[in-house]
Amino acid sequence: MSLLKYDVAIIGGGPGGYTAAVRAAQKGKSVILIEKEQIGGTCLNWGCIPTKALAAGAEMISKIRHSQEFGIETGPVHVNFSKLMDRKQRVVEQLKAGIEALLIKNKVDYCQGEARFIDDRTLSVSNVDQNVRIVNARHIVIATGSGPALISSLGYDGQRVITSNEALMMSSIPERLIIIGGGVIGCEFASIFSILGSKVTIIEMQPSILSTMDREVSQLMSGLFRRQKIDIVTRASIAAVRKEAGKVVVQLENGKEVEGDRVLLSIGRVLNSSGLGLQEVGVEQGDRGEIIVNEQLETSVPGVFAIGDVTGRLQLAHVAATQALIAVDKICGITRSIDYAKVPSCIFTQPEIGSVGLTAEAAIKKGYSIKTAKFSLLSSGKAHAMGETTGFVKIIAESETNHLLGVHIVGAHASDLIAEGALALELGLTSERLTEVIHAHPTLSEAFLEAAEGIQGLSIHGVN
Amino acid sequence: MDPQEYKYYRAHTWVKVEGNLARIGITDFAQKQLRDIVFANVFDDSEMITAGTALGSLESVKSTSDVIAPIDGKIVEINAKIFDNPEIINQAPYSDGYMVLVEIKNMEQVEALMSSAEYAAMLDQAGK
Repeated sequence: MSLLKYDVAIIGGGPGGYTAAVRAAQKGKSVILIEKEQIGGTCLNWGCIPTKALAAGAEMISKIRHSQEFGIETGPVHVNFSKLMDRKQRVVEQLKAGIEALLIKNKVDYCQGEARFIDDRTLSVSNVDQNVRIVNARHIVIATGSGPALISSLGYDGQRVITSNEALMMSSIPERLIIIGGGVIGCEFASIFSILGSKVTIIEMQPSILSTMDREVSQLMSGLFRRQKIDIVTRASIAAVRKEAGKVVVQLENGKEVEGDRVLLSIGRVLNSSGLGLQEVGVEQGDRGEIIVNEQLETSVPGVFAIGDVTGRLQLAHVAATQALIAVDKICGITRSIDYAKVPSCIFTQPEIGSVGLTAEAAIKKGYSIKTAKFSLLSSGKAHAMGETTGFVKIIAESETNHLLGVHIVGAHASDLIAEGALALELGLTSERLTEVIHAHPTLSEAFLEAAEGIQGLSIHGVN
Repeated sequence: MDPQEYKYYRAHTWVKVEGNLARIGITDFAQKQLRDIVFANVFDDSEMITAGTALGSLESVKSTSDVIAPIDGKIVEINAKIFDNPEIINQAPYSDGYMVLVEIKNMEQVEALMSSAEYAAMLDQAGK
């Protein structure tokens, strides 16, 4: 048993953990990063990156299928799924190597193993060979993340009833894929696998898919999914999931049944806060196991911080990374906080969705008097040139002041375009101020300008 | 010619009463204005439609337009054919190109809608 001493010890090597490690090292701290499984966490191994690698493949298939519109003639499109999955894995491995190099460059010590609190400054780290190391640190950052909810009552077996983790390791494209849960993860997989050729059915408990998004966004996506021949069953409760020879049957409370070859469960994630010995050292947790933190991400135990999914806030990699920087700043004596109301979020369906701030419905509920303006990509020259005219930029502003409250984008590159919305909200811009910003022509970003002009009833190319 | 037995709403939608149900679609004038419809959507996140608010949207090669509900009602059936073949709205706006079938909530609301002659007069007046 060896005793190691550091300024900062970080548990978990996902986008929160490694960002904290690099930043703490940049600030001159001695740092150890402890990871139980693989560097990069869910984001890199089981989430953001591998799904985007597959989504990029799906996008390419769509483009080839529409190539005739451009006068480009191809033969039939054949998808070699194992090569598509190999590429996905290569992307993941390449990025993992990149993070490992970052850690080395910044002189962060990396330790593979499972950490557990001994006291509020000390961790025991045991690896697969049962070697135990004792790590003592002045500050400890918990960044253990979350994992997909494995609900046995819905028949989870990792084979025919799976989560996103197993979906990323499938060896073939399921002929019929049933997705339980029409949230972000469910819809991304629905979009990808429907393009790859699966007959996809989404089963959702709420009245619509993507029910937390702006209503016009979820309505458009429902229609677009329907056009892509994705079946959507809403207001559905599941009575049972039966496994029969060669098929899985999802039986609904209303007596209807949906048959498929695989069932993907995307109905939430569980927080990785157990097994760390948190109670023993007095780290307070909430009902869902989330670690309770203050605005600087410090837990009830001074010197112990928590960041990322395990804090029970927005489960987004960029939130974890932002929290990481704030926590490290606090460790270095600088006090900052994160405004969760201004966090952008992206959904990588086809077309993409980008969103920041309040939805129209939420703004009204909060008592705002609002104006909205929507600019359809049908009125964008660039969108026509690209052959991607589906979607819109919608801006929600406070009626009296024209201060932006929310931006919701559906369409090509929505995930990139939303950055401007996040900037506008962060800077507290009005639509007038935004329209003073020159947007290059011909670009999709002009749609943002036109929507801002629309708030003043002055869109040049749109409907005011 | 707009069917005489139908009722019409100022936002260019029609209602055909079938007992306590109402079939709803867009008028011939509306489909001509839109030109080639390429994408039809019905908002099924609410089980109800409300007069004066959008029940769906239609996208043509040149624009996207909301379809405004002429009456209040509970959606009984959505015409799934318009999703696969939105062009049937151009081809048969008063029959196969209907959008929804709803249960009528308030018959007086239906009766207060325009007759075909009144709708024609409204279009005339607007110089359409």
